[in-house]
Amino acid sequence: MTTPDSSTGASRLRTASKSRRAEMRFAYLFLLPALLLVVVFRIFPLLWGFAISFTDATGVAPSHFIGIANYVQAVSDPNFRDSIVNTLFLLATLPIWVALPMVLAILIDQGVPGGKLFRAVYFFPAVLSSVIIGSIFNVVLRYDGSFNAFLGAIGIDAVDWLGSSTTALLSLLAVQFWSTFGMGVLIFLAGLSTVPKDMVEAARLDGAKMWQIWLHVIIPSLRPIIEFSAVVTTIGVLTSMFGLIYVLTAGGPGTSTTLPEFLIWLEQGKLNQPAYAAAISMMLFVIMAGLAWLQIRIMSRNTNL
Amino acid sequence: MPGAGKRQKRALWIASIPMAVLALSCVYPVFFAINNALKSNKAYILDRLSLAYEPTLANFVQAWTRSHLNEYFINSVVVTVGAVLLLLFVSSISGFALACLRFPYRRLLFAIILASLMIPIQVVLVPFYRTVIALDLVNTRIGLIISYTAFFLPFSVYMMTAFYSGLPRELIEAARIDGARFSQVWWHVMLPLGRPALITLGILNTLYCWNDVLISLLVLQDQRTLMVGIAALRGEYTTNVPLLSAGLVLAAAPIVILYVFFQRQIVSGIAVGAVKG
Amino acid sequence: MRKTTLMVALAALVAASPALAQEITVWDFKSGDPSLAAYFDKVKNDFEVGHKGVTVKYVMQPHDQYYTLLGTALSSNAGPDVFLMNGGALAKSRVPSLLKLDDKAGGLIKTLTGLDEFKGPDGGVYGLPITLQGHVVYYNKKLYKDAGLDPEKPPVTWAELQKVCEAFKAKGKVPCFIMGNKEGYGAEFFLSSIAATSLTAQEQTDFASGKLKWSSPQMKAILQAWVDTGKAGWYEKGANSTAKFMDEYEGFMRGDGANTIGLLSDVAHWKQFGDMLGAENVGAFRHPSPTIAADKTAGEPKIPIAGGIGYGVNKNSKNVDLAVALVEEFAAADPIKVFVASAGVVPANTAVDLSGISSPSLKSIQGWLTTSVAPTAHANSSSEELEEWHRQSQKLLNGETTVDAAAAALDVVQAKVKPQK
Repeated sequence: MTTPDSSTGASRLRTASKSRRAEMRFAYLFLLPALLLVVVFRIFPLLWGFAISFTDATGVAPSHFIGIANYVQAVSDPNFRDSIVNTLFLLATLPIWVALPMVLAILIDQGVPGGKLFRAVYFFPAVLSSVIIGSIFNVVLRYDGSFNAFLGAIGIDAVDWLGSSTTALLSLLAVQFWSTFGMGVLIFLAGLSTVPKDMVEAARLDGAKMWQIWLHVIIPSLRPIIEFSAVVTTIGVLTSMFGLIYVLTAGGPGTSTTLPEFLIWLEQGKLNQPAYAAAISMMLFVIMAGLAWLQIRIMSRNTNL
Repeated sequence: MPGAGKRQKRALWIASIPMAVLALSCVYPVFFAINNALKSNKAYILDRLSLAYEPTLANFVQAWTRSHLNEYFINSVVVTVGAVLLLLFVSSISGFALACLRFPYRRLLFAIILASLMIPIQVVLVPFYRTVIALDLVNTRIGLIISYTAFFLPFSVYMMTAFYSGLPRELIEAARIDGARFSQVWWHVMLPLGRPALITLGILNTLYCWNDVLISLLVLQDQRTLMVGIAALRGEYTTNVPLLSAGLVLAAAPIVILYVFFQRQIVSGIAVGAVKG
Repeated sequence: MRKTTLMVALAALVAASPALAQEITVWDFKSGDPSLAAYFDKVKNDFEVGHKGVTVKYVMQPHDQYYTLLGTALSSNAGPDVFLMNGGALAKSRVPSLLKLDDKAGGLIKTLTGLDEFKGPDGGVYGLPITLQGHVVYYNKKLYKDAGLDPEKPPVTWAELQKVCEAFKAKGKVPCFIMGNKEGYGAEFFLSSIAATSLTAQEQTDFASGKLKWSSPQMKAILQAWVDTGKAGWYEKGANSTAKFMDEYEGFMRGDGANTIGLLSDVAHWKQFGDMLGAENVGAFRHPSPTIAADKTAGEPKIPIAGGIGYGVNKNSKNVDLAVALVEEFAAADPIKVFVASAGVVPANTAVDLSGISSPSLKSIQGWLTTSVAPTAHANSSSEELEEWHRQSQKLLNGETTVDAAAAALDVVQAKVKPQK
């Protein structure tokens, strides 16, 4: 769990019921601002959106209750189905999204030559807007672009990276990964600072090999951060890729890079169907909540917390 | 690292090669943006990759004045600083409560915050906008500060909770057994211990607030923030990449400086000293 | 201390006259463009001079979020008084929020063309177009010469166009057409360009109403032409990863392709291409079609023309009359003349004098405007059908689907959006 029981300390505290009540009071007091903000600005609008998804609202005419018609429409909408298939493909790549930044962070923490420089530089793509990143990769990945020129030089045939249905999603994901992995590295570096250095040192003095230290000391103590990273990355790739999709592929060719998020934008803005967009959003929300729950369950099963 | 074996050293050297290539690829867009910001649009169209052989500062001047970026700059600074401070404070106390304190419905409350992390902004756009209007927060800086805090808070609370959960147990317990009041535990123990995470969150949230376009478009329509001004540089069909690059270079400079300045602080481990003390 | 006194006096003045100060808010996706500053400044100044105590406020929104924000604002009763729209499907879907302008701006409406794209289902005018939009093929005369073609004799029949493309294929240096279909716009413009000549006036109407199906022989012929031209190697490789705006047109401006289907207004037109390649090196021709409609003649292709962008009035505006007056100002001949000079547009207002502009391709276009005009099929299509056409066109070009399957998929969308009795 992310909020592990602090069993021994807590039980000692629990003996004094007075201090237990004080703990409770403080906890609620400390959580109040966060809950207030979240409920008013996020949960409440979500419920509102949930209500809209059962109507035929178009944003201009008065709306009527139409039951689950929007959800029925989604299930039979080939574009929605394709976007779910694309999502599944994307989810299959998730372990890389978590593992690679972690490995990079550990290497930097272990003092890889040039680590300080890498630490500073890996963050740069995250600072730039998706428009600039899109412009660059348009030039790099287009059919007569620099990447194909490079491949040609080493004898590999040109591929239409963004224009062919088989490679477009993969290319998009690679660019998205590249533009966000710096944040992952940053988060893992913060987590690594809680790993007691003397534990690592002790293991080393015991003659443990590097991979053993990684596997038995460092990675276990990063567990909450790994779980955090997995959940946040899942949510991130499902809700923050619009910018790149818009610039790099516009959802195509066909539906090969249409993710639910892009479809929501299309239905809501261009096609002026906010109620249908709300229904798709609700389904996306359920998918994400289910995935996050699953991830937390899997992680906590492997812990002794 | 002192005492590292020869083999480890060699392994790290080998690992540094692909890492350096990756680092190079991360520097390139910065070069691309600066280089193209110095070109005229015509020069950019004719050759997008070449060096700016006739460098001009016209784009910077145009972005700064014609696009009112000078006016928007102050809005962005005020709103970002306000929101980040609020975010750090609220997420630090919430993370402490969720990770270290025992109380009924803890999991439920944690689940509510976690669930709100998963709400795509596209779906809450209309209801959120109406909520902001109903609370009379539209077109105010404080409204945007509160909106940012609300939107980026779940991530921050979650991260602080995860971070505090990863701290060695003894630290918290030691503080609690000493009989310190919880507010003092938070102030004297958790806040200093949380520094690496808080700095990380400070950087990330600064980036999120500074780079946000959508929330700002809705809440602050009268005054505009920097990134909205830059987003507006994109036309219906055309993107004047040199002008956009100039705007982005101007807008990203403070973030990059801030980041380079603060990122050292993250890694300076606190745990070692604290455990011994 | 004179300054302070002045400030106090000013403050008192402002405080004393709040009832007089009225503000008309305008939303658009253009006013941030530096090259259009002259037009927007003129409209604002002229209007504020003519209407004392009124200020015009432009709020520019990024185009990618424009319609989302507009819909959100309108449904939250926080919308602007006046807003800009793209003619056709996007404008028509906003008609319920718009004020009917026939009575209030009747005089001006008589001088405007391109009104169809701003009409509601009742036939009323709900927005005043400021530009005309349409498609012709622009070609690079130098590249024609290189390929041994006569740059002064552009093709007028399908067979001639085929010969042109064969010449470029044989030469092997640049593609015949530079094509950007990443967003599906390449296919959209192709569709309208062919349909202008291959559909009769009645068939155009039937297509707009949904009576003429995508699987009809007439429409399938267009889809087939799309596939055939792709297979014949008219386009560069990677057209599906080239953005029409602006990768394709920038390629044309670099001389990377011989022909491109361009626009009449805003961008990718006679002025922009002329500025980059030299006006004398750019020519324009009407896109021929492989099939000729019964009411058209071979060798006389038509060009699709429609209202481009235009302004409408929010019917919930608190200052409806001022808003209407402002919309009229936007479409009036004087400011539009400034617009034409700075941005290069073909105006919707027929009272605008274009004689001062020397561009050979604009001259040709002006001639065709009176002789060779046809409806723009894609502007009369629904947004849903267009999105599907974007997707299907990409698959067709990649060889991932057949004309029959694509037409069937498009029929499903068409039947849903435009149900037939």
